[in-house]
Amino acid sequence: METPVIRLTNASVIFEIRKGPFAHEHFPALSDINLDVMAGETLGVIGDNGSGKSTLLRLMAGIYQPDAGTIERATSQVSLLSLALGFDPKLSGFDNAILSSMLLGASRKEALGKLNQIIEFSELQEFIHKQVRTYSSGMRARLGFSVALTMNTDVLLIDEAMAVGDAGFKKKCETAIMEKLSSSLTVVLVSHSTAPLKKLCDRVICLNHGRIVAEGKPEVVLAQYEQLK
Amino acid sequence: MQNHTNKQYLSYRHFWQLVLTKIRFNLRSEVAESYLSYVWWVLEPLLHMGVFYLVFDVIMNRGGPNFVAFLLCGLVPWLWCAKSVNNSARSMLQGKGLISQTNIPKLFFPLVVVGQDTFKQSFAFALLILIVLAYGYPITAYWLWLIPIIAVQILFIISISFFVSFAIPFAADLQYLLKSGVHLWMLLSGIFYDYRRILLPEHQELFLLNPMASLIASYRQVLMYGENPRIVSLTYVALFSVLLIGLMSAVMKRYSNHLTRLVID
Repeated sequence: METPVIRLTNASVIFEIRKGPFAHEHFPALSDINLDVMAGETLGVIGDNGSGKSTLLRLMAGIYQPDAGTIERATSQVSLLSLALGFDPKLSGFDNAILSSMLLGASRKEALGKLNQIIEFSELQEFIHKQVRTYSSGMRARLGFSVALTMNTDVLLIDEAMAVGDAGFKKKCETAIMEKLSSSLTVVLVSHSTAPLKKLCDRVICLNHGRIVAEGKPEVVLAQYEQLK
Repeated sequence: MQNHTNKQYLSYRHFWQLVLTKIRFNLRSEVAESYLSYVWWVLEPLLHMGVFYLVFDVIMNRGGPNFVAFLLCGLVPWLWCAKSVNNSARSMLQGKGLISQTNIPKLFFPLVVVGQDTFKQSFAFALLILIVLAYGYPITAYWLWLIPIIAVQILFIISISFFVSFAIPFAADLQYLLKSGVHLWMLLSGIFYDYRRILLPEHQELFLLNPMASLIASYRQVLMYGENPRIVSLTYVALFSVLLIGLMSAVMKRYSNHLTRLVID
């Protein structure tokens, strides 16, 4: 039987935008989201810029708390992977990989133990000892992916990261994710392009102005999204 | 469904391991950036001292025979405090990358800053001890008081750093106030003057309400004058610090979500 790993019930996130020293405006980034993310599924999230995709991921990752409604998580191991990646640009890729692994729940020993695997997957070779600020965005994405895929988190939230990196590495990540699909890994994939979602997802939701406007099989929802545009 | 939503995602042990690892990596990258950084950690307090020495001893002739040792006893603890506080002010905003990626407890950021600055200042402390010895002050049993004095100062620095790192994201304008505030605080801490010679006796207790003033006075009493430190004042500072640390930990937890949004947007 399928069980939800993340359940959102009427969840809303409302941002306060400062307009002056005492005035601010409220802007709902997500309104009334009801969503179950099932264990082991690959869920796609599609929507235009500003539709609330990244906010949804941050909500799922526990970085934002909902202003209304609730979120329940069946696991504490939810890791968010986005283009920003949270790396410290002054530290080397090596050091960042250790820190990221530790942030995903590994002890320092475990992180060191997995490091070879991470470096190998990332194909960064000697660049691993260079400061991350010298990396291209593709290289950063590689490192982030390698850490997240090696560390076996329960839920992997991926924000547009598939869009960067060269074709070869993209293929490798897709294969790695495909392999994980048979295991218990749950993946939420966010994108504003339909191709990767069509290829990888079991189910897709479409966000528009912070609301879920469509949900279901990838071909159906993605076709609806194309029409919407 | 079993709910892990409010479970702390890092154990205490794990959290501290992360803090220490981050401190180590940051120090390492500082060294990698300029090979002279070790040297600067010692040279910087010396340069500061040079300025005060020039103004007060050479130009104004107000120094007295052991002015260099006297100055350093005030300057080294002061720089430790001022740097930690100034760097903590920016710590949350500089942690934006991590804050937008994980829900790591916010105390992580000021703790890393204090740890890093404490390590760097330990070089200056070694220099301070050497200079005090070079001036012919003997090592006495009073020097053992250094351990509790330094411990109290660490607590005090952590408490102020927590407060500052929390307050600045709410009002970035405070950063300008903080700068002048720290300057004023320096002048009021008795770094380049002896409060016992300058202040009227009835004003001295008021002056020593400033934790940094009583800490600096204690360092001098122990290292130079062979006296007990200001035990009552130190106890008050320790109590105040522990209370503020407890309060700020609770406040940071309570407003963690608020801070996240302030920092990310």
